[in-house]
Amino acid sequence: ERRSSSLQHKSALFSCVTGHKQMSSHESWSLSPEEYETWDRLYRIKESDGIQEPVLPWIQFETLENLEETPKHKEGAARELSLSEWSLWQSRPFPTSLVDHSERCHHFISVMEMMEQLRQEQGDCSYERQLQPHLRLEDVNVPRSRRHVSVASPT
Amino acid sequence: QRLQAAVHYTVGCLCEAVEEDKGVQFSKQSIAAISEITFRQCEIFAKDLEMFARHAKRSTINTEDVKLLARRSSSLLKYITQRSEELASSNMEQKEKKKKKSSAAKGEKTPREQEAAVTESEDSNMS
Repeated sequence: ERRSSSLQHKSALFSCVTGHKQMSSHESWSLSPEEYETWDRLYRIKESDGIQEPVLPWIQFETLENLEETPKHKEGAARELSLSEWSLWQSRPFPTSLVDHSERCHHFISVMEMMEQLRQEQGDCSYERQLQPHLRLEDVNVPRSRRHVSVASPT
Repeated sequence: QRLQAAVHYTVGCLCEAVEEDKGVQFSKQSIAAISEITFRQCEIFAKDLEMFARHAKRSTINTEDVKLLARRSSSLLKYITQRSEELASSNMEQKEKKKKKSSAAKGEKTPREQEAAVTESEDSNMS
């Protein structure tokens, strides 16, 4: 029952924040006692909620030594937010509200779209076929050991 | 497209090195996808670098701008900084050896650094 009441309270709270009453006690950076009470009651995740604390994935470089400390979470207590679970949904732009999609985001969408197409292919790769005629060997570093690779002869 | 082909070729070589190293196989499609990502990432890098340089009221992109590209990961930043120091010292040696080439060395530094950054992004994409 707490869930549904949360939703109702949330909209009430927003109007309350934009209203006048809240402003007076808002001199410090931290929450006022009333704000703390509201947060504790409506938003704070507690054990009784039966849901796991959301955490963002931590970056790791496979090819470099990692300097970052991986933050420790209690086993099973945290739910790592996935950036790849819904990849099938990502080959088109999602709706926006106030912030537009960045160029970087559009690149991501296009690449997801491209991968969706490549996924259907078996064996021969259309991307390769398309680019092969444009390769000039003077543009690339040809490593002595693997001069034969990748430039599969266009058949 | 000629550029894309060169990127694709180079990505193929790098992937091959990883294949040998890790004992895994890349499908041609995944190599194509990495190439396309790399190609597009270059566009993002290029624009960011230009902005960083302009923010510092420069028109020439230097190694400090490149380091900014790597700011989000301290591992990556450390790696790039090391490489940049290596490059700087080898550039110094070269300058001392061939003083007549000193004008060319400076202009050459930027694209080479950029390439280093790009190679890095490929590495991360591959992982």
